[in-house]
Order: sequence, then structure tokens, then C-alpha cells
Amino acid sequence: MDQAVRELSYAQAIQEAMAIAMETDERVFLMGEDIGVYGGAFQVTGDLVERFGADRVIDTPISELGGAGVAVGAAVTGLRPIFEFQFSDFATLAMEQIVNQAAKMRYMLGGAVSVPVVMRFPAGSGTGAAAQHSQSLEAWLGHVPGLKVIQPATPYDAKGMLLAAVADPDPVMIFEHKLLYKTKGPVPEGYYTVPIGKAAIRREGRDLTIVATSIMVHKALEAAKTLEAEGIDVEVVDLRTIRPMDKETVIESVKKTSRLLCVYEGVKTLGVGAEVSAMIAESEAFDFLDAPIVRLGGAETPIPYNPDLEKATVPQVPDILAAARSLAMGGR
Amino acid sequence: MPVEVILPKVDMDMATGRISRWYVGEGATVKKGDLLFEIETDKAAMEIDAPASGTIRDISGKEGIDIPVGEAVAWIYAEGEATKPAKDAVADATPVQEVVPAAAAPVAAAPAALPELAPANPGKPSNGTRATPLARRLAAAAGLQLDAIAGSGPRGRVMRSDVETAIAAPAPAASVPAKPAPIVSRPSASSQPRPAPQRSAGAAPLNFAWLRQGEGRPIVLIHGFGADLNSWRPMLAAGPVDAPLLALDLPGHGGSPRQTPADLDAIACDVEATLAALDVGPALLVGHSFGGAVAATVAARGHADVRALALIAPAGLGPEINGAFLQGFVRAKSEASLTPWLRLLVADEAVLSKPFVNATLAQAADAELRAAQAEISDRFFADGTQTFDIRGLLAALRMPVRVIVGANDRIIPASQSLGLPGEVALHVFAATGHMPQVERREQVLKILLEMVRV
Repeated sequence: MDQAVRELSYAQAIQEAMAIAMETDERVFLMGEDIGVYGGAFQVTGDLVERFGADRVIDTPISELGGAGVAVGAAVTGLRPIFEFQFSDFATLAMEQIVNQAAKMRYMLGGAVSVPVVMRFPAGSGTGAAAQHSQSLEAWLGHVPGLKVIQPATPYDAKGMLLAAVADPDPVMIFEHKLLYKTKGPVPEGYYTVPIGKAAIRREGRDLTIVATSIMVHKALEAAKTLEAEGIDVEVVDLRTIRPMDKETVIESVKKTSRLLCVYEGVKTLGVGAEVSAMIAESEAFDFLDAPIVRLGGAETPIPYNPDLEKATVPQVPDILAAARSLAMGGR
Repeated sequence: MPVEVILPKVDMDMATGRISRWYVGEGATVKKGDLLFEIETDKAAMEIDAPASGTIRDISGKEGIDIPVGEAVAWIYAEGEATKPAKDAVADATPVQEVVPAAAAPVAAAPAALPELAPANPGKPSNGTRATPLARRLAAAAGLQLDAIAGSGPRGRVMRSDVETAIAAPAPAASVPAKPAPIVSRPSASSQPRPAPQRSAGAAPLNFAWLRQGEGRPIVLIHGFGADLNSWRPMLAAGPVDAPLLALDLPGHGGSPRQTPADLDAIACDVEATLAALDVGPALLVGHSFGGAVAATVAARGHADVRALALIAPAGLGPEINGAFLQGFVRAKSEASLTPWLRLLVADEAVLSKPFVNATLAQAADAELRAAQAEISDRFFADGTQTFDIRGLLAALRMPVRVIVGANDRIIPASQSLGLPGEVALHVFAATGHMPQVERREQVLKILLEMVRV
């Protein structure tokens, strides 16, 4: 199939995916705070309200619990809502609908209904939005069976995984790092999907595996370039989905390189990298480890407002370099 | 908890040792640092101090028997600390058999089964050794005891490379009981198999050239496989050199005798004889690639007065080497067939000057020379593997040692230089291949001059 490939920003790729979803399936509609004429807190929905009308691009009141409840209810009755949160931090307000309703309904009703809702969460730090607007809460939702939780890192994946999420019969939670919205990358025109539950090897290497999520994939790739010049050949695995996790790809990579570094922005303790590292320790890859597993995660603190401190609380390229060099020497 | 007194590893090759004499007896009170016993290996006798203060109990390491390294030979109990019940005591097989039947219920079948339960010495479990899971698995697959392998990782952790090194090395002499090693005419520094030297007479001096005359401590240069002493000249063009500079041709290379040395020690013998003949005193020894392994061997043997050692992209730090390069390089006879291989030597092929290619080509035209080198390649790099190891030698050196590598080395991976002893300095040049002395000639020359001026 010939699909022209353009350079689009991550935000444009998401907008295009939502437009295609609405064009191809009349059950699809958008909900969220200020997604209509304002175009969304991060301008992701843009002018979609002009193209599809206020009936399909619906501004909701400032109530995440109410909005999420309407979205879940609409999904149960056969529609395909895409609900946008202004900030992923506000997922906390909608936890009842996400955790107790969306994630449980198919199970508790013996499969009689499914909940094909998609929720989009602008996440992460780096915008100076301080402690209540900068968190990475993907591990919270990753802890709940019944949900699918994804973190696309590239415009290509943002579009393909959103379309896969819309087609999925179960609730899919998409965490989009705010600093990725303006990053650009090749995106084919038209409809395509990127499978949920499948990691991507972004760079092959033989000395060390970095399993990274979201924006950390790019930091890991940048570090890998520097490390290459130092003779350390890094493999970068973009996890893409944190539930269900693609264990096989990670295990095979660690079996090849014998060293594992997990890099994620969420708080280090009980975070995504904690799960990856425990999964590897329990797996057949354990016997291939030639150094202790290392995690680089967010600091055990709220995200500070001070921009220097904000940067210091999440892993940066120099942190990855230092950890990788140490691991290459045998680790701690 | 009582403190365990173990049979320590006092020698790189040591798998077992013998206690020749206990200085204290069962029940003696010792202070930390007091002499406990003397151990004897093939090479040395050594006195071992108490690791803690207290009372010596459960002495199980009897004098004169082979004991695996790491095995508990006694315990030190703190004052007032309860001693362990006799059945838990670490003891040799005989008392176990005596004690247990007495304590066991009188079931007829039990005594017959007991000998199997007794620990089968010397198959000591390796659980106390710090090692990575991968190292454990590889050692188990190779039938090696982890505690007999020197760990190069953090806090002495045994890593994959250590096990691979141990697999590549022959069984240590200590594990061959009673049979004395054949006496050889020269002392050995390496643990390689050393067939008797093929030469009947003394070591033949090598071809050499003083590339610079000068005052002060000389720099002695040993080139790599397939090169010759002229390969150092590009580096000398990089800046003024005030130290005397002696370059040697390896056996089977340049103007040296066309022979295939038996092993690194044989080459080291030739180097030593040449330095002695030239009356070279305290020197900085520099080796590139295969010449690095030679230089390390010379330094470790201690016959030549080596005060510092610089190894440029040295061989002997790991098993992997670019076998295709070795074969292709030796076989190539024309500029067309040689140049692609020469490109692998460097990260930036712009440094492959016409004179460099022509000089290499001139050597390729000498069929006898290339035949000798093919033999040398087969002997030292059989099947694309470095069959020798200098890691152990470096660990024992008491002189400044620097290793200089290019991060993009396509002949010997730069990662092999990781995990060296902490006192060995490592210089890694980015965007540099197997010949830092050519591609980073100014910096490498500066490093060598720094070392020789100390």
C-alpha cells in the first residue's frame, strides 16, 4: 500500500488519528475540557470542532469524574469515545470511573459488555507546571487488570497506537508526554495501526539494554550515540505498552546484552522500571545477567516548580550516560 | 556469629593450597592480626593473619593436605559466643561419619546411606563467591569452580569475561597433584602452555632501529602483528621527541629472523636478549596490539628493567579478534586486495596515506615473510580467537600501566579493555580505530612522553 509519508509533530499525528477515526467510524467522538473552540490545553484537538461539529467534539464541564463517567457509559452503550484529560494528574479525580467501572465491567458482567473507551493523558514534567500538573502516573493505571496502558514515544506510534486503541474492545489509557507534542517524525497518511503490547527495538546493540518509556526513549537514544563513541554498544528498547507488557522482547534483549538499565520518568519506587527489572529477575534472562540491574526513575519527591530542580528530579542524558558507563564496567 | 577463617587465594593460578604449619591450636585465644598459619603453594609460602579476635575453634584444615581456596579451615568465636553443636561443625569426612550414626536413630538402613550425605571434598559449593548469574551459569557449564576464578568486577565480582578467561586458560598447575612441572630454562610469567622452545641456542637478538637518539630514559616500541618497526614513524612526526626511542621488529616481522615463536614467553626472551645486547637500562615499554601482549609479558617476567608500560589496543584482554581481518591481511598481495583490510584498521580512512599503504604492500610482496606471519597468526590467533591472556599479568604488575584504545576498534573490540585492575589507566579515544598511535598520534605521543618523564 502506497501511503505518502510526511513529517508531522506528535500532536499533529494524534489529531490526524482522531480525525481518521471519526471519518471512518461514526461511533467515534471526542470529549474533554476545552477541546472545542479552544483546541485543547495542548492544542491537540485544534480545529477538529470545525471539521466534525460540536456534537462530535464535545466540551465537558470541569469535572473529570463526570466526564469520564459519561465516556464509560457511552462506551458501554456501543459508542467509541475518546476522552481527553487536560493533565494526566487529574486522572486521580476520575479513578472511580477508570478503575472500578471501566476496568471491571466486562469481567463482572461475564463478558456481556465491553468498554471500548480511549482516554488520553498529557503527562510528565519539563513545562514548569509544578507538582500538581507534571506527574507521570502511568504506573498507577498499569497496576489495574482490565486496562491497557500505552506510552507512544514517536509521532508514528502516537497515530498508529491511538487508532489501535480506538479499535480495541477494552479501555485503553494513553499517556502522552507533554514535551513530545512538538517533536516531529515521519507519519504515513491514511489508516494504519501499531499493535498494543509490542515493544520496539529502537537501536540494536550488544553491550547493554536500556528499556525506556516515552520521552526517555529519546534521551536513551541520545546517550547511546555518545556511548557508541566510547565503545559501549547500547540496545534501546522502547517499551511502548506498559500493560500488557511485551516481556519477550525485553527478555531476548537482556539475554543478548547481559546488562539491563531501566529508564522511566515516573517515580522510581514501584514504577514501570521496577516492574521491568523484577520481571527480568524472575525470567530466564536472570541467568544471562552479567551485572546488577539498574533503574533510573523519577526522584522520590513532588515535581518542583524551580526549573533546575524540575530537571534534576527526572533522569536526564548525563544520568543515563553515567549509569550506562558504570554498568559497562560491571555495575555496582 | 563466629568469623570464618578461610584458605585465602594468594596466587592468581591457585585453586588449592596446603597449610604447612598452624601457629595456634584449637581453643587458643587470638587477636586480630595474629599469625594463624602458613600456607604453601607451588610458588610461595605465606603467613596468614587472624581476621578477627577471639577463640580458635573447629580447626578442620589439617596440615599437609590440599584444601580448595575459599574453604573454611577454622572459626573464630567471640568471647562468650556459643560454639556450634558438633554435628554442625565444619569437619573433614571422618568425624562426620563417627558423630552422625551415634546421634541418629538406630534404623538399619541409615548407616549405609550416610557416606553419600557426607560432603564430597573438594567439591565445595561456590555460593559464597560474588559472581554474576551469567558467570555462574557459564562456570557451571564449563565445570569450573567459581571460587577458583579471579573476579575482575566491582568488589571482586566474577563476571562473564573472567569465566571466559578461565575457560581459555589451561588448568592451573596446583590442581595436578604430586607431579612436578617440568623444569624449564626460563622463568614463566604467563599461565599459557609452553612447549619447549624450538631454538637450540640462546635467544636470537631481534632487528632494531634507534628512531630517535637522546638523553634520559628510553622508550622501547614493539609493533603489532603484520607490521614492523617503521609503523611507529608516523607517530614520531607528530611532535618533538626528546627521549631516546628504540623500535624492535618482532620475530617473523620486518628484519627479524623469519621464525614462528612458540609462545609469548619465547618472544619475550628475544626482546630481553635484544635489550640486554643494546645495554638498554630502565625503560618505558610500549606495545601495540599483539606487541602489547609481548610487552606485558616482558614487563611481568621481570628480566628487563621495565619501569612503565603502555599498551596500545593490546591483544590478550579477551578472546575476540577480527579473524577475517587477520586472514585477509595475510593473504592480500595487491593494493586492491590489501586496502579494504587496511581500512578496517582505522576509523577515518583518510589517515591511510599512500606511503603507509605502499610500505605494507612491500611487506606483502615478501612471500617468506607472509608465510611466517600466517603461521604466527595460526598459532596465536587460532580460529579468530586470542589464545593468550595478559589480564592476569597486568594485575600483578607493580609499575604504572596505561592502556590506550580507540572506541571504534574493529580488530579488537574496545570493550575488552574494560574491567582491568583499578590501577591501570585507560585512555579511550572517540572516533578512533585499532591504531590510536596513527589516528591520534599527537595525543598518544604526549601520553608516552608524560610516562617516560616521570
